[in-house]
Amino acid sequence: MKIGVYICHCGSNIADHVDIEKVRETIGQQKDVFLVKDVMFACSDSSQKEMVEDIQSQGLDAIVVASCSPKLHLPTFREVARRAGLNPYKYIQVNIREQCSWAHSNDHKGATDKAIKLIEAGIEKAKRSEALEPIKIDAINAVAVVGAGIAGLRAAIELADMGTDVYLIEREYFIGGRITQWDELFTTNQTGREIITKLYHQLISYKNITLFTGAEIVETSGSVGNMEIKVRIKPRYVKPDCVFDMDKFEKAIEVCPVEVEDEFNFGLTKRKAIYKNYPGEFPEVPAIDHDHCTRCGECLKVCEGIDLEQKEEFINLNVGAILLATGFDPYEPKEGEYGYGQVPNVITLQQFKRLIELCPDELVYAGRKIHNIAYIYCVGSRQQNGPNRYCSRYCCTAAMHTALLVKQKYGDIRNFHFTRGIRTYGKQEHIYHEALEQGDVVFQSFNDPLCEVGEHNGTAVVKINDFLTRGKPMELEADLVVLITGMVPRKNNTIAQLLKVPVGRDHFFNEVHLKLRPVETVIDGVFISGASQGPKNIMESVNSALAAASKANNLVKKGFISIEPTIAFVDADKCQWCDKCAQVCPFDAFEQVDYNGKQVARVITSLCKGCGMCLPVCPEDALQLHNYTDRQIEAMIEDLAKAK
Amino acid sequence: MKMREPKKHYDVLVVGGGIAGQETALNLANLGYKVALVEKDYSIGGKMILLSKVFPTLDCAACITTPKVSETARHPNIDVFTYSEVEGIYKQEKGFRFTLRQKPRYVTEDCTGCQLCEQVCPVVVEDEYQYGLVGRKAIFIPHSIANPRIAAIDIEHCTFCGLCENVCPPKCIDFTQQERVDQVYATAVVLATGYKLFDPTIIRRYGYGKYKNVVTAMQMERQLVPTRPFNNILRPGDGKVPDNIAYVLCTGSRDVTVGNPICSQVCCMYSTKQAQLLMGALPMADVTLYYINIRAFGKGFCEFYQQARAMGVGYVKGKVGRIWEKGNGNLVLRYEDIETGEVAEAEHDLVVLSIGILPNKDYQKLFKNVKVDQDPYSYVKQIDELTSPARTSVDGVFVAGTASGPMDIPDTILSAGAASSETASYLCKVYKEIQPSLS
Repeated sequence: MKIGVYICHCGSNIADHVDIEKVRETIGQQKDVFLVKDVMFACSDSSQKEMVEDIQSQGLDAIVVASCSPKLHLPTFREVARRAGLNPYKYIQVNIREQCSWAHSNDHKGATDKAIKLIEAGIEKAKRSEALEPIKIDAINAVAVVGAGIAGLRAAIELADMGTDVYLIEREYFIGGRITQWDELFTTNQTGREIITKLYHQLISYKNITLFTGAEIVETSGSVGNMEIKVRIKPRYVKPDCVFDMDKFEKAIEVCPVEVEDEFNFGLTKRKAIYKNYPGEFPEVPAIDHDHCTRCGECLKVCEGIDLEQKEEFINLNVGAILLATGFDPYEPKEGEYGYGQVPNVITLQQFKRLIELCPDELVYAGRKIHNIAYIYCVGSRQQNGPNRYCSRYCCTAAMHTALLVKQKYGDIRNFHFTRGIRTYGKQEHIYHEALEQGDVVFQSFNDPLCEVGEHNGTAVVKINDFLTRGKPMELEADLVVLITGMVPRKNNTIAQLLKVPVGRDHFFNEVHLKLRPVETVIDGVFISGASQGPKNIMESVNSALAAASKANNLVKKGFISIEPTIAFVDADKCQWCDKCAQVCPFDAFEQVDYNGKQVARVITSLCKGCGMCLPVCPEDALQLHNYTDRQIEAMIEDLAKAK
Repeated sequence: MKMREPKKHYDVLVVGGGIAGQETALNLANLGYKVALVEKDYSIGGKMILLSKVFPTLDCAACITTPKVSETARHPNIDVFTYSEVEGIYKQEKGFRFTLRQKPRYVTEDCTGCQLCEQVCPVVVEDEYQYGLVGRKAIFIPHSIANPRIAAIDIEHCTFCGLCENVCPPKCIDFTQQERVDQVYATAVVLATGYKLFDPTIIRRYGYGKYKNVVTAMQMERQLVPTRPFNNILRPGDGKVPDNIAYVLCTGSRDVTVGNPICSQVCCMYSTKQAQLLMGALPMADVTLYYINIRAFGKGFCEFYQQARAMGVGYVKGKVGRIWEKGNGNLVLRYEDIETGEVAEAEHDLVVLSIGILPNKDYQKLFKNVKVDQDPYSYVKQIDELTSPARTSVDGVFVAGTASGPMDIPDTILSAGAASSETASYLCKVYKEIQPSLS
């Protein structure tokens, strides 16, 4: 057997602490080692080229690269083997960077000895490696996009453009998500609704997009390439085939006797049990809120399009991948946090945005005409003592932009910003500039809380020790206090729980790698986008949605997916079907089948991830993992344990 | 040498082989499109391949760039042209015609990267890949992880002594090489032309270029990479290991006096990262950042900034007005200390200028009969910023990465993802019109 061994310096990463020369000499004396070389960067193109040439000209049967963690370069060197005509699974990676040079940077001899040992064990493994072929599974060229906010809408349109069928699933009765609640947006001054109107018209022109509103995924099964999802659709109580007559629906809304708090306006207004959030909302058909409707039947008298007998429906869909665009929740301040809920006229930025739209001529809140506005930043973000350590990124610019708008719209306004340091990054800086130029006043503090909000004769009073003026105590009587609330992860995110999407320290969805794979998750076929992955402004959300769309399209469009063949396999003669493997498997990859008249376990290839959890629990030793076989592992241990 | 013969027609021309260009090219190539990736430099990888570790995860930049670089270089659907230029892009009814100019490196592709030529070459000039910290020869390999890893002759400085020709084992030096010019077509164009670094000599008050111990953050970055030139952190003036380092943030950013009023979006974080790396490399050193606002806004950034503070990195809110040198090479910074409200002075033995990023305006000269609109800061204008961020004013021309404005690596990757998907959609539509059977 001819084995080639390559020892990587990784610049100075390995060579600083491991004596490469000694490693090379020792390994060269090993039986079956046909050639051994050291290289500056094994991953560099020239080294890869050299390996390909060696494999071909020397007829190597297996190669071992001693470099970094296989997490980083396993695919790189497998590809090298493949290009050279060697089966990629005849390649073994030994990690002498993280496990030797970095871990033992204070012990060069120890690090060197350990590197030699690990490489020798790797050679033993390579000798017993099997040639494997990737497993191909069918993929359905369809993607479920969850959430029809700006990210979901853009991802859906883009996927459809690239030739993938889309099921766009929105939990609310209306599409558009958070941006419909915002009028003018930075940095283009388009309104949220303008954008959503444009996208909706685009959306409905596609034959390969199916939109579900009032819909939620309640069950998922299968795996990448073929996932089955069960969608629950709440009744809208409107006949799907009715002749749509908006006047009659307007009449129905008028006669409805039920009034509830309007969550679209964050409680600033009331709405009926049959409602639309705003005129011109999409889909155009109003919906009846099941929880509040009293079934009085008043609406039926004026509008024949209504059907109170509708029941919820369940449908099953088959998709190749799922793209999550479930967005965020605005942070909800606690009772008393900066006077919220206790001091009069303290509202959140989200409410303020609604208020501006509801006040066409003059800015009035709770009967009071507003002149002095205090904006308190980082509410629910950058917490020193709370769980949200992160910055919500969009809010500084959003607040400054809003301050510009109110002054433009109502004229007689004075803006006071209470900040932790303004983060209008990039080109957004000009918005901050404009705010300063129009005379806005900025205070800053590093204290926690940032400032105090009290009350004096029915007026809110904000106190701060201002860092910008040597910590001088300042006091402001504000007609309105606006809490600049950040983004938090969605509370009721059923789909995330169903799919077991991992979350990071900040509790937003976690990507595989922030730079290499920012829209993918560790669950194959589940992509994340927009603010569900972390706070983002609109442009950033759309960028991430489009990036996710291209990855999802790339995965499913070929009609098949190649998956790793390093999965578990069952020795059916030994297996007695005790169910233990099925119990520990985190991917439900075992099924019970009949084998020569007895019940045995079988591995479902498309589900097994090769994690190896099942191996130690098998009492019959009937389970093994391809390329981590008992034969290989035992040979490695024996070699590691042998005395020098 | 025989330069690469381009195909007559590509689906996409990607201008720029930095991470934005590579990511876009790879995404599109994986979807089956033929891509021409044109890079004006000797190596692909852009600026990221030259960085040490990258925030906020502290991944080794070389380790996460090289796999992408070699994947790009090898991809069967991507033709990479390094040391090449695109000129005269002419928009036609369907697609674009352009001139591809491959310039001679005077070394053929048989080069094995053995570097024997470098050892014998008698000419030493400033090494632009080490940002002038050290010298290089007139025949040189740009840097240790360059791709392709082929030498090139800097013909401006070469004395034609012929020593390299004599030692080269594969005999791959060829002074007769000529440039190769081709007319090529592409259906769509992606601009991934990146950014330029601010030149701090403009701010004379900071003394860059005059005081040797005032360096740029990019020079510090090169000192921190695994293949660092000095194998240690040294100040250039006298080779002393510094123990009290200052960072001057917003050098060339948020500064109307130098014509760049906007924030560069990356300097707060790269300075914070360098400060953390320096504390690892020089455990006894003090590191102080002079800043206006710390913009730690991205995923994991704020936590990373808090970690630096906890490690003992000093953060002083105040703009540095002036820097002057003392006899021993140390530097005195005069700054406005916001906390005390006083003008103060502090002495440091090394000053790092956290230089900002500026638009690379080269894209403006690329087109012949159409104009790609620019934004007020001369970046490529995104004509539908909120819903189609990769679209430009020219139908079929898209933008990826920092060509449209300052951004960090994670944002660049997302922007490149958006450019890929908008370009792919565009191609689908165009090909459907031309040949309905294809779709």
